[in-house]
Order: sequence, then C-alpha cells, then structure tokens
Amino acid sequence: MVAKNLVNISFTVNGERFNNVNVPSRQHLADYLRSQGFTGTHLGCEQGACGACTIEMDGKAVRSCLVLASQANGTNLKTVEGFDDEMMEKVKQNFLKHNAFQCGFCSPGMLMTTKEILLNKKKLTRDEIRSEISGNYCRCTGYQSIVDAIEECINEIN
Amino acid sequence: MKAADFSYHEVVNLQDAIKIKAQDDEAVILAGGQSLLPALNMRLSSPTCLIDISKISGLNEIKIDGQTLFIGALATHSDVMNNKTVKDNMPCMIDILKMVAHPAIRNKGTHGGSIAYGDPAAELPALAVATNAEIIVSGQNGERSINAKEFYLGLFETAINQDEIVVGIKYPLLKQGQKIVFDEVCRRHGDYAMAGLIANIMGSKNDIKDLKLVFFATGDKPDVADKTARLYLDNGYDYDKLKNSLSSEIDFAGDLNSSSEMKLHLATVLIKKVLSKLEN
Ligand SMILES: Cc1cc2nc3c(=O)[nH]c(=O)nc-3n(C[C@H](O)[C@H](O)[C@H](O)COP(=O)(O)OP(=O)(O)OC[C@H]3O[C@@H](n4cnc5c(N)ncnc54)[C@H](O)[C@@H]3O)c2cc1C
Ligand code: FES
Ligand code: FES
Repeated sequence: MVAKNLVNISFTVNGERFNNVNVPSRQHLADYLRSQGFTGTHLGCEQGACGACTIEMDGKAVRSCLVLASQANGTNLKTVEGFDDEMMEKVKQNFLKHNAFQCGFCSPGMLMTTKEILLNKKKLTRDEIRSEISGNYCRCTGYQSIVDAIEECINEIN
Repeated sequence: MKAADFSYHEVVNLQDAIKIKAQDDEAVILAGGQSLLPALNMRLSSPTCLIDISKISGLNEIKIDGQTLFIGALATHSDVMNNKTVKDNMPCMIDILKMVAHPAIRNKGTHGGSIAYGDPAAELPALAVATNAEIIVSGQNGERSINAKEFYLGLFETAINQDEIVVGIKYPLLKQGQKIVFDEVCRRHGDYAMAGLIANIMGSKNDIKDLKLVFFATGDKPDVADKTARLYLDNGYDYDKLKNSLSSEIDFAGDLNSSSEMKLHLATVLIKKVLSKLEN
C-alpha cells in the first residue's frame, strides 16, 4: 500500500505483542490484521453492515473495518485465531453440532457476537438472539442453525 | 474500497483539537468513526487531515446537571444504554438506542458523533429536537449552547463552526405527565429507518394537553410537524387529512429504500402506531 502518512503504534493481538510498528494512517484494522496473517478476520462490505470483520478490542466487539489501524494503539485485540479458551471451544462445538458453520465466511463475526452475548450473561429468547445477531449477515445457514447453537450456549452457561 | 490518504492526529485534550481544527479548514473530527469510516472507505469523503478525539478523557461523562440530563460527546451508545442515570431519568433513550445500529457498532459510535453528524435518518438528532435539548459546543471563543432545533440547518448541515467541537448534550428532564414515545419502520433491526417518529406528549391517551411530532428519515433533517400535531389534537386520527397536512409541512425526500410517496404514507401511519402506545 502506497502511503505518505505513517503512524507508529504498539498493541497486542491474541497475546502477541506488536511494538512500534508503522501503519499507513489510511489503513483500517482489518486490512492490517490480514496483512499480518490474521486472515480469520473476513471483509465483506467495509462499511459496517455485514459483521464479518467483527473482532474483540479491549474486551468489546467492534467492526475492524470501521477502526483505523492507528486507533489500535495501546489496545488489546483478540481475533478468531485467539478464540481458544474453554468457553469458546464449547461455542465452536455447539456451532459444529448444529451445522452453524457452512461456508464459514460469517463465522468469525458470528463467534465474536456470540462471545459478547455470553460475556454479558444475558438470558435471551430466540427473538432476542435474532436481534443480537442482526448485525451479522449469513448467506448460507438461513440463521436457524446459528440461533440453535447460540441458544444451546446460553442454556449451558446459565 | 479503501480510504484515501490523510494525516492522522491523536489528541488528548480538547484545546489541541480546537487549535488544529481552527488552523486547517479540511480537518475532520474522528470520534467513534462509525459514520466517518464507512464514508472514507467508500470515498464519499476524502479529507486530508483527521483529528482523533476519542482518547480525550472526561468527555464521556453522563450526569444530572440542574434540570437536565447531560451526556458527554464521547459517551458511546453502549455506555448510554448501560448507564443507571439514563435508565432512571430517561429510559426512552435506551429504547431508542436499541434501534441504532448493532451492538458492535454501538460499542464505538458516540452520542456526540451522532448529534454532530446530523444524519437525517438518525434517531438521536430527532430526539434532541423533540425534547428541546441544548447542544454544547466548544471553540476558540469558549463554549456556547445551541438549541437542537436551530442546530440542524439542512442535509448533514449544522450550526457548528469550523473551529468548534460538540462537547455534550443537555436534555431537559421530563416533567410529571410528560412522555416520549417513538417508533420506526426499517428493513432489518438496527438499520437506518425508512421513516420514524418521536412524539413528545403531555397528558394521557384521552386527554393530550400538548403534542410535538418530530419525524426522521423523512426529509433533510429532523422534521417538526406542529400543524399536523394540532390537526390530530382537534380531529383525531384521519389518515387522509393527516397525510395531506404532512405533505404540506414536510419536504419528503426519497432514498434507496423508499420513495418520498412511501415515506409520506409511513409517516402518516406512524402517527397512529406511536399514539396508540400511550396508556390512559
Ligand atoms: C451499519 C451501520 C448502521 C447504523 N445504523 C444507525 C441507525 O440506525 N441510526 C443511527 O442513528 N445511526 C446509525 N449508525 C451510525 C452510528 O450511530 C454512528 O456511530 C454515529 O452516527 C456517529 O458517531 P461516531 O462517534 O461514530 O462519529 P464519527 O463517525 O467519528 O463522526 C461522524 C461525523 O461527525 C463529526 N463529529 C463526530 N464527533 C464530533 C464532535 N464531538 N464534534 C464535532 N463533530 C464531530 C465527524 O467529524 C464526522 O463528520 C449506523 C452505522 C453503521 C456503520
Ligand atoms: S466488512 Fe466490516 S462490517 Fe462488513
Ligand atoms: S456460513 Fe456461509 S455466510 Fe454464514
């Protein structure tokens, strides 16, 4: 990427430290992460609508296409590659069980959104689950299986 | 698509932001980035300089200030939705924010950004107008307060001067018997509305003493429909009469999802939907 303006930043991705790296000011975080090999972060629309690029920044779900890489300075990031704790392993098992992974394009964003639902410890109805995932497009499953998987995850932790 | 090149300045205090903004006509504020970044990525806008104000501390305060609820510009939509002072004093704002975008966007998008951007389809500018809120801006000459109705001038056009930054919004606390009721029609939960209505009501269902109707996603800014509100109070709900009145009072502007004719119909129906939510 040709860029006149570079910004020097430091941050953490999945526990790995990135110190004093130069990023083009105009580059969004999803492109930067993908350029560093974190290709689990997918890009669909680059305007906030599809949710495929959703990652965790300082404990909260954000759209990585709507955050500049330079804005990640000082933050702690987690991408789908780092979803390996006990809770997320269970979530992935439930997604597999209900056939909620099909082509997999939406999956990183769906997993992140599920993670946030579980961390907020909300007990949700199926309708509420649908509205929580309304910001994540899936072109394969018809959502039914994803709602099934999330419902099972919620029941397990509550 | 990808954003064009720009210089990026992270500031940690308001005065620095004001200084850069005053010196550079092209400098644009970056708050949550949830409206600006889509515009940059799509090259709808290509400013040469961004001033990132998101790390200025103290600008995200939420508190009761005299007879008003004060919301600092940098409070995110999620901060506001989870705040006890808001829940206790203006629960309607939480219901309205549930319709603003999706959780991951609400985690970044700021209250002040939504107010300052003045998207005609956005909920908060309409709420500010409906509640007679004051928008506090700070610039080289200090602070001033602008009434929400005077703040919105046209399509994405506001009364903010080049050197000014929105620092907070003051919403008058609701009085005894006053209610804010709202509804909107959208294609998918969290998407921008095709048409929406926020009503500020004094009284009860069968005895409305005062009624203010503010529409959004209808024209080029929050649309106040006083004549139509009067007509409703005098005659009750009459679809044809209210539709006629709205079409003379609001300059409906169609968009990708809905024609101006469709917006006029939705706005008329919303009057019934919103007012039927009132309890006796
Ligand atoms: C997919 C999607 C759906 C959305 N749906 C909705 C919706 O249904 N309803 C809705 O209301 N919004 C919606 N939004 C927009 C969202 O609410 C934005 O967060 C908000 O409008 C802008 O806030 P921000 O902090 O992100 O501002 P930014 O994107 O950082 O800035 C927006 C503009 O305001 C200016 N600005 C920001 N803060 C200030 C300030 N303090 N002083 C002066 N100028 C300032 C910036 O210069 C810029 O021009 C949606 C966004 C996306 C991506
Ligand atoms: S790529 Fe970020 S929301 Fe679609
Ligand atoms: S599994 Fe293919 S888009 Fe969701």
